Amino acid sequence: MGRKHVLPAVALGVAVTLAATACGTGGPSGAGQTLDVWIMEGTHPDATAFFDEVAAEFEATTGAQVNVEFVPWADAHDNFVTAIAGGTAPDVAEVGTTWTPEFADAGALADVTERAGDTSDYVPGLLEAGTLDDRLYGVPWFAGVRAVVYRTDVFEELELEEPTTWEELREVATTIQEEREDMAGFPVPGGAMFSALPFVWGAGGDVAVQAEDGTWQAEIDSPESREGIRFFTDLALEDGLSTTGATTWLETDMQDAFIRGDSAMMIAGSWAPAAIMETDPELEGRVGAFPIPGRDGGYSPSFLGGSHLSVFNGSEDEELAWQYVQLLTGDEFARRWTEETSYFPGRQSQLAPFTESEDPLVSPFAIQMSEAGHGVPVTSAWGQVEGQRVVQTMVQAILSGDASVEEATATAAESIEETLNGGA
Amino acid sequence: MSEPVLVRPAADPASAAGRPLPPPRARRRRRVPLRPWLLLAPGLAVIGVLLLYPLGRVVWLSFQDYGLRNVVSGEPNYNGLDNYVALLTDPFLWRVVLPNTIVFAVVAVGGTVVLGTLVALLLRSLGPWWRTVVIGCVLVAWAMPAVTGTYVWIWIFDVDRGLVRQLLQAVGLVGPEGFNWFTERLSFYAIVTLNIVHHGFPFVAVTVLAGLLTIPRELTEAAMLDGANAWQRFWRVTVPTIRPVFAVVTILSTIWDFKVFAQVYLMPGGGGTNPEVFNLGVWSYVRSFAQQSYGLGSAVAVLLTLMLLVITIGYLRAVFRDEELR
Repeated sequence: MGRKHVLPAVALGVAVTLAATACGTGGPSGAGQTLDVWIMEGTHPDATAFFDEVAAEFEATTGAQVNVEFVPWADAHDNFVTAIAGGTAPDVAEVGTTWTPEFADAGALADVTERAGDTSDYVPGLLEAGTLDDRLYGVPWFAGVRAVVYRTDVFEELELEEPTTWEELREVATTIQEEREDMAGFPVPGGAMFSALPFVWGAGGDVAVQAEDGTWQAEIDSPESREGIRFFTDLALEDGLSTTGATTWLETDMQDAFIRGDSAMMIAGSWAPAAIMETDPELEGRVGAFPIPGRDGGYSPSFLGGSHLSVFNGSEDEELAWQYVQLLTGDEFARRWTEETSYFPGRQSQLAPFTESEDPLVSPFAIQMSEAGHGVPVTSAWGQVEGQRVVQTMVQAILSGDASVEEATATAAESIEETLNGGA
Repeated sequence: MSEPVLVRPAADPASAAGRPLPPPRARRRRRVPLRPWLLLAPGLAVIGVLLLYPLGRVVWLSFQDYGLRNVVSGEPNYNGLDNYVALLTDPFLWRVVLPNTIVFAVVAVGGTVVLGTLVALLLRSLGPWWRTVVIGCVLVAWAMPAVTGTYVWIWIFDVDRGLVRQLLQAVGLVGPEGFNWFTERLSFYAIVTLNIVHHGFPFVAVTVLAGLLTIPRELTEAAMLDGANAWQRFWRVTVPTIRPVFAVVTILSTIWDFKVFAQVYLMPGGGGTNPEVFNLGVWSYVRSFAQQSYGLGSAVAVLLTLMLLVITIGYLRAVFRDEELR
């Protein structure tokens, strides 16, 4: 694996930054203060050591302590909203790119436009997602994209090729299902939105589009979207390539099942392989990835997401919070974070080495990101659609047999339109 | 002594024997009405801060259209009774949420009280050594945090690899494709009921045991001499004697089981992806925090509180119908 050179880099990095900060602005300004920071967890590899080091570095520079809290992705949106409502929001937090406009619109995030200055180096998609009414509220930290992660050893033993169309995907999964007892070919999780959306987009559908007059029109019930959802859910219902339990699985459950050896493929992010091998080192060298195949070739678009770093309004010392954001997004720690987690950096200047990488666990994701990335509606109301778990409810209703594809998509479309158009 | 025995040891001989209290004492009492309030003040202050203020705020929120933006700015946005109208005219409330809440609570309260009473009766018949052992084991279930307990039940019922799945498959009740009990309303709540009853019966057992131990032995002996069997002794002697204890455990269980939250929210699908399993507590939370309509969520919470109040008052009246309240 091409990323075992972390230790020397750490030593070098610390030395360099220490040297850089030594001749920076005068003495510590934040002595006696504690900065509360929320970082997401659940699919990342364990990041405690990394953030301990960032904290040590931050304390050396500013004199302020850092208290990092790890928040599971699945609960994060609720936690943010609850904390904002209760006035207990952190000073700095990693915010999912789809949530930034919502929190910013509510007035919970600090406007960092002036502090950020020139933004031309940020990855455009992430920058756009962090901007509301031309003001910047989320600093692009890293980008993430999902592709298909699979077990190379199983593919080799069964002499299977990486599929390039939906039909091949189904055939490959069927072969695995038949040859491998206790191994699901392609689990179809009911609680993982970004596993379902590639098939919607891949069939030419969409979640919602904005009309000329600014109102939103749900597209999740269009014939194209329905075709994609039907293919996705039929992998479970018709072809039996999933498991019964997967109906209520979240993305984390899917990853656990993959680690246990219960499935041979899954839709997972570029950060997943590192986390998988950290949990079970036995899987080292037995995990591969390929871009999500298109219906008839090419690629199915996958959600291009990632995380911003945002400063929350009500932070006691915004300048201190901003310094922490700068430290994390600075070249040194950004490079190390992306190396350790296999995310892609949020700055174009930092991104180049990844897109040119030959690493079999990097390049499929890089291809997915550059050739078939897709966003969700950029509007402050989108967070509510996620909060209501509209897409997950839809998929789960189909998988559990409670609703047909037509019924479930119609219900979802109604809900999406109502929410995106402000409940009017 | 052939009549059902309703006698309880008289607590205050004065009130039982002489009706009118001595006048000087009464006058002195009337002159110092401040003292009881002073004694109550610390308790009231705590209740006021922890209970009454949030309660008042929820009621206040329930008359507003309150979103995330209002939360941050703190500005009110009144809309009168709109939330309540929207709530009460929503078929989802009548079709899904209320049945889930009420039917579940009835079954869970019944299960908790019956099981707890049976365990209490068992405990009474045990010697000191075994009683300690059994109470110890029972209290472990009680001491387990709700979240931990819920995850244990989820693990036991794991659809693909759980103990229950393996057991049912071994005896041929479930085919190789398995069955996802988390997506069906009935089986979902069956698991929640198991969880709640398991978590709730120790309290009932210990409380009822305490009540059982206060029953004078002579009452039971007299009933036995009169030829009453165990069943009759339980219903004619035990239950009437410690009826207030049953009232307390039933009311408390009802309140707890109506507002069950974590045990539903944490189950697969219970956190929002399967609206069919929402109860009032989860619905209130999802409305407030996932959909950010705090007004509607608060209205749901107020509705839940009102229902509990009505139920509690009804219970109290029924239980103390024949008896003096003080």
